[in-house]
Amino acid sequence: MSQALFARLGRLALSGFGWLAMLYLLIPLAVIVGSSFTTTAYLSFPPVGLTLRWYGQFLKDPSYLSAIWTSASLAVAAASIATLLGVPAALVLARVRFPGRQALSALLFSPLILPAIVMGAAILQYASALGFARTFAAILAGHTVIVMPYVVRTTLASLVGLDPSFEEAARDLGDTGPGAFFRVTLPLIKPGVIAGALFAVIISWINVELSMFNTTAELMTIPVKLFNYIQYSVDPMIAAVSAGTIYVAVVVVVMLDLTVGIDKAASMNR
Amino acid sequence: MRITRGWALVLLGIPIAFLIAFFVVPFLVVVLSSLQTKDGSWTIANYVKAFSDLYYWDTLLLTFRLSLLVTVSSLLIGYPLAYYMIYVLKSRAIRRLFYVVVVTPLFTSNIVRSFGWMVLLGRRGMINDVLLTLGLVERPLPLLFSETSIVIGLSYIMTPFMVLTVSGVLQNIDRSLEEVAQDLGAGSFMTFLKVTLPLSTPGIIAGSLIVFTLSVSAYVTPSILSGGKKIVMSMLIFQQYGSVFDFNFGATLAITLLITTIILVVGYLLAMERGTRMTAAAT
Repeated sequence: MSQALFARLGRLALSGFGWLAMLYLLIPLAVIVGSSFTTTAYLSFPPVGLTLRWYGQFLKDPSYLSAIWTSASLAVAAASIATLLGVPAALVLARVRFPGRQALSALLFSPLILPAIVMGAAILQYASALGFARTFAAILAGHTVIVMPYVVRTTLASLVGLDPSFEEAARDLGDTGPGAFFRVTLPLIKPGVIAGALFAVIISWINVELSMFNTTAELMTIPVKLFNYIQYSVDPMIAAVSAGTIYVAVVVVVMLDLTVGIDKAASMNR
Repeated sequence: MRITRGWALVLLGIPIAFLIAFFVVPFLVVVLSSLQTKDGSWTIANYVKAFSDLYYWDTLLLTFRLSLLVTVSSLLIGYPLAYYMIYVLKSRAIRRLFYVVVVTPLFTSNIVRSFGWMVLLGRRGMINDVLLTLGLVERPLPLLFSETSIVIGLSYIMTPFMVLTVSGVLQNIDRSLEEVAQDLGAGSFMTFLKVTLPLSTPGIIAGSLIVFTLSVSAYVTPSILSGGKKIVMSMLIFQQYGSVFDFNFGATLAITLLITTIILVVGYLLAMERGTRMTAAAT
């Protein structure tokens, strides 16, 4: 009897903790979104009044628009290259046994372990030596390297859980060679590929540590621009820009949930 | 689909070549330049400089101390949350809602999240407002621009990593083991302590390793939430590249941070392995 009571109390305490943790995870974001609507010239939460003025102000500023454009092109390009390279790599790792497989798989995942700041320095020094420092190509190369492990990981996760009988059936029916990949395997591992690509997009979109080594006044990504601004002053306009990046995060999370299921995507990527 | 040897070479060869060109070689450039003077002759003077100056030791220690605090606090928040999500929540819809809330901060840049805490922790921020209203303090606490604010901000940023890693492991625990414990008369707390917790140690180890290494190299959050009053290693490294323009010494600091982190991680893993072996021997 008392044991059941304890269990119930424990459960209750856990629920309370769980929902409080939700609040904790949401509040810092809510503060930014809230204060981006304030009519005051200084940051205020809860907002005083309600205005879209600050959004108008940053959307009229060409330097923000160009930074958003740079970040978006980087994210899409890095995620696309990483998908084109990472999916085939995962396919070979999952299906072919060969000596040195472990070592190559470790190499594919090692960008996850190397601190982003070291990677940023490395790309800057390397690109300086080869004469393409502080260019879009230099940042793109670095971003592609750090996002590729995410694609490899989610693709591997869905390949490992795949029932091989589907592919065997296709082979028995004479569907062999590279074409079979696109007709049979790819549709089956699509959730893993989509989850990996979306993770790749977002990891690139929010990166500061790597980009900041290679950005210039003309070549600027939105997180680095935000960072340079927030270090010196904060105001509702910068809250509006920040809130904009939160909306992007929410859209990508919803996309993940609708295509793959957020719980599945999360457990594929750990 | 069967992959022929030729295809395997192409499919894996191109990504590996890409990584060698843009990851391995750039990294080697950093390693080599940490062993060079500005004009390119070989030297260990950079390392002598880094290790003979107490300032760098202090910075390294501060970096590791803050990262340890962050690891512990994100575990204390992340583990119960993960446990709640996997074991207590029954409806998949609500569990998905929780995942959405855990992942959304992860998909928001560190700057924006640190910015949020900057607003919350300020002298007239929400935290101080609440403390004052409740009468817990008489005047606003100087929370912002201190070690406390760095730890609070970084723990917030790291919590989702911990939740996802731990929940991934909890999800794969065979529930029948827990049912057996309950059938044998163990209460739910005993079951947790004797069965679930030991089985979830791989998640705790992996999660704390991820959080610790990410915290050690974090740059954005300490910069914003320290207000320049506290300096961690990543800030020193970027200073060398961004304003001092001493790439060689910057490389030395980066390699020093990397090697000391690896030593700590390996030490931790060895200690954990010995710990598990001893517990196994004791029972």
